[in-house]
Amino acid sequence: MAKTIMVVDDSASLRQVVNIALTGAGYKIIEACDGKDALGKLNGEKINLIISDVNMPNMDGITFVKELKKLANYKFTPVIMLTTESQEGKKAEGQAAGAKAWVVKPFQPAQMLAAVSKLCAA
Amino acid sequence: MTTPNMDSALQTFIEECGELLQQMEDALLRLETEPENQDIIDAMFRAAHTIKGSAGLFGLNEIVAFTHVVENVLDQVRSHTLPVTGELIAVLLPASDHIATLVGVPADEPLDADTRTVGNALLASLQAFLGHSDAPASAEARPMIPHETPVYSSGGGEAGTDNWHLSLRFGPDVLRNGMDPLSFIRYLGQLGEIASLTTLSDALPEAETMDPESCYLGFEIDLKSDASKAEIESVFDFVRDDAIIHILPPHSEIARYVELIKSLPEDDKRLGELLVASSALTQRELEEILFIQQCPGQQQPQMCPPKRLGELLVENQVVQREVVDSALDKQKQVKEHKFQESRLVRVQADKLDNLINLVGELVIAGAGATMLAQRKGDGALIEANSLISRLVEEIRDGALQLRMVQIGETFSRFQRVVRDVSKELGKDIELVITGAETELDKAVVEKIGDPLTHLVRNSMDHGIESTERREAAGKPVKGKLMLNAYHDSGSIVIEVGDDGAGLNRDKILQKAIERGIVSPNANLTDHEIYNLIFEAGFSTADAVSNLSGRGVGMDVVRRNIEALRGTVELDSTPGEGTIVRIRLPLTLAIIDGFLVGVGESAYVVPLEMVLECVELSDLDRQALEHRAYINLRGEVLPFVRLHDHFEIAGNGSRRENIVVVQYGSHKAGLVVDRLMGEFQTVIKPLGKMFSRVKGISGSTILGTGAVALILDVPSLIQQAAASEAGMNGQAGRNGDAGQATQVGNGSADRTTASVH
Repeated sequence: MAKTIMVVDDSASLRQVVNIALTGAGYKIIEACDGKDALGKLNGEKINLIISDVNMPNMDGITFVKELKKLANYKFTPVIMLTTESQEGKKAEGQAAGAKAWVVKPFQPAQMLAAVSKLCAA
Repeated sequence: MTTPNMDSALQTFIEECGELLQQMEDALLRLETEPENQDIIDAMFRAAHTIKGSAGLFGLNEIVAFTHVVENVLDQVRSHTLPVTGELIAVLLPASDHIATLVGVPADEPLDADTRTVGNALLASLQAFLGHSDAPASAEARPMIPHETPVYSSGGGEAGTDNWHLSLRFGPDVLRNGMDPLSFIRYLGQLGEIASLTTLSDALPEAETMDPESCYLGFEIDLKSDASKAEIESVFDFVRDDAIIHILPPHSEIARYVELIKSLPEDDKRLGELLVASSALTQRELEEILFIQQCPGQQQPQMCPPKRLGELLVENQVVQREVVDSALDKQKQVKEHKFQESRLVRVQADKLDNLINLVGELVIAGAGATMLAQRKGDGALIEANSLISRLVEEIRDGALQLRMVQIGETFSRFQRVVRDVSKELGKDIELVITGAETELDKAVVEKIGDPLTHLVRNSMDHGIESTERREAAGKPVKGKLMLNAYHDSGSIVIEVGDDGAGLNRDKILQKAIERGIVSPNANLTDHEIYNLIFEAGFSTADAVSNLSGRGVGMDVVRRNIEALRGTVELDSTPGEGTIVRIRLPLTLAIIDGFLVGVGESAYVVPLEMVLECVELSDLDRQALEHRAYINLRGEVLPFVRLHDHFEIAGNGSRRENIVVVQYGSHKAGLVVDRLMGEFQTVIKPLGKMFSRVKGISGSTILGTGAVALILDVPSLIQQAAASEAGMNGQAGRNGDAGQATQVGNGSADRTTASVH
């Protein structure tokens, strides 16, 4: 069965590119535009991996991960954080919240695919 | 990256950038007045951040490099290391413009020299804010491997194997962090061939003391691969903090193996045997290692005290319940909240247009059905039909409402224009916006931008005086530019006002006579004279400035507005200012009409312009031959006889009616044969060949399938006024003086008529 990945980012184009890259590699994608939206879209579905931006309106990525870790069904779901090189501090914060993986923006689709397959290679 | 999918993603990116840059610009402008507002700063940072992140995906390195610096500056602003100053905003505004320019350049085209120069200049000034001019504007992502230990691959005493050797000891928290050790090993398999893999379960405790959420496993792997050490190391990036990872390149020195064995938690001897078994080492090498090795191996790694499995299960059942409940609760809250927030739906404009068209057809079909029902005289059928037409009316209003947008967004775009232009002109001008929530048709909003820009610039350039002159006149130094919008009898009125010196009446009149726009002996009111500036070929500016006077005059503004079925007029008070009023129809698609009959034909008067209907008395009828106005309760009302206007054969009916119409501040009467009542009118444009016919603005289809023409009330009112004035002036129906009163709405051919 195809593995499901949730992409949380406020940039529609970023979601679209990640979606294209990962769908091409055989993953099923759920898109969400911020932390709140993402929590609303979990719905108890099995999600193998979550890719989340840090900086988002409504609910930022770090709060989102903290909330996620409170949910029994998702507390072990791996999270890839999208950070920029200028956000070393945010990275530490994200790791403390429970996001152990990260990809540095800007990235190429191939880099994202590599990071994803490290965590849930089919 | 040229698949159709990527192209559409790129399109999304371009649209997204447009929105983000607009947000950024709005934020910057707001920041001028509230420099402390953290929300605004955050929003701005996020915009830059998102643009950079997404641009990287498409390999748009120019954008990444530039936005990177902008983002750095904003980051410092966000962390309060850099104060918000006028100078900073003055650099960030053009910077956001520059990003827009970059976004507009196709990815595979090089930047032209101008853009590059602008970009470099902006970068330099941005970096000045960062405090160091040599900040790297690197477009590449920093590689994900921060440190790399040197690879010992040659030298004496090397092990005789071509494979990489990896020792992995996953920490207890790995699973809890969502990391699946197996997944990493699978991924490793993509880098090369896993020659051997041994699972070490030495750390696995007894069943009853085992914590099911902890990881106890270790792996010894031999990998046959051409990958670099960095590549192999990067596989384990995400677990580096939680796991002990040793990677030995092929042909490593024996000493490296010694270090490895020493550093691993398991029993040395056992490890050694393992390495031999996996042919990483030969037996002889192992003996050598064990010989070199003096001190005993380390103890088992510290694990958190494992819970008894039984206890854990019991505990889990209790905890699980609560956690699930609270999680469900949380989800529900989030959902409800979301429901309140996401009240906006994006719809493609042509879908809406389609809907409006269909509703138009529905209105016509409904009118047909109503007529048939009335003809049949079946009470129940008529009732059912009237219910349907009421609903159709509501649907029509609802559908039209969908296309309505607030004018505020259009107005606020002028904040920037006013700011830039006042800097350029060296004037201090403030923009005051009122009525931003006034709604009008999206199609109108899109087309009103250009004429508005022209009017705004004109006001700033010619309307508002220089600072010195304002001081001399005892006015506040800060000039005021007003944008206002409101609804007025079925139209929307947009006002562009200034508190400048007002128009110079004599200068305008003199110029108009010079240019042959009016005849020298015309008797004009001030209002009429002011509106002469909308005539073709008129410009009062003595000096042509950079902004206005580029050959595009106010006549173009008027033409643009007339194309929207609107009108424009101007009021001015010397010393106090000028106000330009644009009057536009609320919608371009469907109107409430008033159906009238003349001879065999039907005509529609837009209902919002109808004031009242009165019967044409015999007294008035007798007077018709001598004058073109009637006495309406003591008021002079010019009128047009549609019978004559459209040259309809035959005599009018015995009992003619007058429909009193109003447009703006003008009133006139339309003499018709029959009054046929209200009618929902779907406007169908007339073909090009009718464009020269005066007094008609469009057509519609009646329930019977017959065509009715929609009257162009503004032009009819003018005609009425003209013929009235003409008769008064004894100059015939097309007299000079009459034409001259038509400023503000006359067309080019009429103006020429008045010249000879």
